[in-house]
Amino acid sequence: MDKRIVIPGDFLSDDVKKAGEGTFIREGKVYANLYGLVNEKNKIRVVPISGKYFPSAGDLIIATVSEITYSNWIMDIKSPYEGLLHISEYPRRIESDEMMKYLNVGDSVLVMVKEVSPSMKIELTMRDSRLKPITNGRLIEVTPSKVPRIIGRGGSMISMLKNATKCNIFVGQNGVIWITGKEKGVNKAIETIHLIDTQAHTNGLTERISKFLKGNETSEVDHKSPDILNELLD
Amino acid sequence: MNQEIVSIIQKDYLYNLMLKGERLDGRGFEETREIKIETGVIDKAEGSARVELGDTKIIAGVKIQPGTPFPDSPDKGVIITSLELIPLASPEFESGPPRENAVELARVVDRGVRESGAIDLSKLCIREGEKVWMVFIDVHVLDAGGNIMDAAALGAIAALLTAKIPGARYGEGEDIPLPIRDIPISVTAVDIAGGIVFDPSLEEERAANCKLTVITNQESAISGMQKSGNGSLTTDQINHIVEVAAKKAQEIREKFLEI
Amino acid sequence: MNDKPEKFIDNNGLRLDGRKADQIRDIKIEVGVLSRADGSCYLEMGNNKVIAAVYGPREVHPRHQQKSTKAIVRYKYNMASFSVEDRKRPGPDRRSIEVSKVSREALEDMIFTEYFPKSAIDIFVEILQADAGTRTAALNAASVALADAGIPMRGLVSACAVGKVDETLVVDLNKDEDNYGQADMPIAMTPDGKITLLQMDGNFTLEQFKQGLEMAQEGCRQVYEFQRKALLDYYAKKEETEEVAVIEEVLQEEAPEEVVEESIAEEMEEIEEDEAEEVKAAEAESDQEIEEDSSETYETSDTVEEEATETEEPEDEDEEKEEDESTIDESDDEREVSQ
Repeated sequence: MDKRIVIPGDFLSDDVKKAGEGTFIREGKVYANLYGLVNEKNKIRVVPISGKYFPSAGDLIIATVSEITYSNWIMDIKSPYEGLLHISEYPRRIESDEMMKYLNVGDSVLVMVKEVSPSMKIELTMRDSRLKPITNGRLIEVTPSKVPRIIGRGGSMISMLKNATKCNIFVGQNGVIWITGKEKGVNKAIETIHLIDTQAHTNGLTERISKFLKGNETSEVDHKSPDILNELLD
Repeated sequence: MNQEIVSIIQKDYLYNLMLKGERLDGRGFEETREIKIETGVIDKAEGSARVELGDTKIIAGVKIQPGTPFPDSPDKGVIITSLELIPLASPEFESGPPRENAVELARVVDRGVRESGAIDLSKLCIREGEKVWMVFIDVHVLDAGGNIMDAAALGAIAALLTAKIPGARYGEGEDIPLPIRDIPISVTAVDIAGGIVFDPSLEEERAANCKLTVITNQESAISGMQKSGNGSLTTDQINHIVEVAAKKAQEIREKFLEI
Repeated sequence: MNDKPEKFIDNNGLRLDGRKADQIRDIKIEVGVLSRADGSCYLEMGNNKVIAAVYGPREVHPRHQQKSTKAIVRYKYNMASFSVEDRKRPGPDRRSIEVSKVSREALEDMIFTEYFPKSAIDIFVEILQADAGTRTAALNAASVALADAGIPMRGLVSACAVGKVDETLVVDLNKDEDNYGQADMPIAMTPDGKITLLQMDGNFTLEQFKQGLEMAQEGCRQVYEFQRKALLDYYAKKEETEEVAVIEEVLQEEAPEEVVEESIAEEMEEIEEDEAEEVKAAEAESDQEIEEDSSETYETSDTVEEEATETEEPEDEDEEKEEDESTIDESDDEREVSQ
């Protein structure tokens, strides 16, 4: 599929019904409002090369504690807005003066965005068995708009990475990624992810990644057939 | 405040690497990042240099203008060094007059230039007691990627080395090169988990216990030093840093002579 | 000091620097030059050298400046001490404050600030070398930096000045033409020709003004092409980089054989499955959102917008004191030079 780069203000289409994210409408025509790649799959969208993370309810993200107040942990969620984890949203019942013991400034956690109010108050929660503090492994950051690319359709890209590097990889919607495993595998995973981050818009990236990861698997069974790999995002 | 929060995970990882003798970017403990120096980048300045030290980018400009000498040194020129940590360079810098970090950087860069005698101030006298040349060194930090001190000091001396006294413009004779007789070089190291690494990157600076800058001259004599940050250093650590700093300074000085 | 040139236009209709009356200076643009900024641009326009950085959307400091329904936009224009012939004292002066204000006003309406309530979009432009037309060069760089930062906008803003020397209208004045000329009018324009910045000083007849405005607009169009090209080229450059080769090598090494603890693996798998659903759900959701977005209509600069009562630059009280305080220059310990 041909990839087209646009800048804000570039004309996209006369069909107002097809306007998707990253576009705006003026006098019956659709224009790009971002610097990025045009994606014309269903609607016309512009995927930005860079941009910040804006939380939505239900997002699973990785946050870091930046401050502790009487009843809230204030979290850096790598967004223009900070996240608030109320003491009642911690998996256990704890007292206000114990908060520091469980989550201190600088600690990172896997959390879920519970609610985003119109006034941009971001409420987080840890009340879910999947959510917990992160105490080992590595954390890296990628551009949030690349997250779908790194996960891949149905998780295919990320599975491919995990198999080849023998690591566990969790990709937060906010672009923070948690990797655990043996050092060599972790380093490899990190380099591959950075490659995807910088090259996500190119053609042939999927084939390149899959080729090398496949060539890499000696005794392991290849879980995915090449056809599925080729169907990866865009 | 715009302070960026460093996650403990990241800090721990850095510490563990240190204990294994490694750095985040794979450098040796005494290895500096790539240095790029370009002089003569600002036409309006009498001397200028752009320095890149890893991700850190600075521009130093030297402006030379006539002015009145200080009363207690009527036959000597004047050096004035300033440095700006403009908000453009980092999400952590704020607008407004220079705060303690910018002031400290400027003063230490100044110390290196002044105490090494790099500029012979007596050669900058036009009319004793009335008119001398004022040398303004202005360092603008454009990209704060760790170890601004060494980049700034490097930029300052590079700009000075290629500066000209604008005699013609002020009717004080011809334009002549600013007489420079020494090349002070700043080398900074930080203490992380007891280990000493040189030319700290941004992450290393954040994780560091404290920092020591050593400025040496051509004879490898020390012209200026500054310990910065809350922590403490042992005598052994300090001696080690000084030795290596002198050595690294000489290497960098040799790179300069290539200009 | 320079003496005033006798003639600004020679017998062939060429200017002092060899340009024709309607010719803008050479432009060079580099995108994404700073590692810490969200978006950045280095730009040269003739002998002007400027660098712009954009941070945002980000949290507003001080808090009380934030707006509940949209992002605030802050623009700070600053000239480096060494950028001009006579060294300029560090810190904002009244001219910089005015330039900052009109520049912000030239850009703000182009930005979809309503997408980011309670946040700030900060634009900083540093003039490294000045040769007249710094405010237009700065705006041109700022537009590119905003795009680089992924800020949603209606279009890039392009700026150019027109002036008058020897009773001749000339575009994109250089320093001498600005100093000794008879008029100077910088403008900024959107891609569809609407003017977002307009200042003028000097003397124009009505006819000269009209013609001058057209010339300046044409200049802006030419600038726009440079800005657009720089952004497109920058993206294309990212495609083939050395990184690809490095990664190829890295991936060709054998994968480690040890398997990670099973319990974590299981947990991760669960998260994985949920993620996959997340992605699907997100795609479905965003389709819905898009329905809403697509009903947005373009707002011209005369529609609803807030008011002139908004607080403007400078953001810090400290800055206002700037003019009286001597900034902290370095000399021997006890001495400060009063200039």
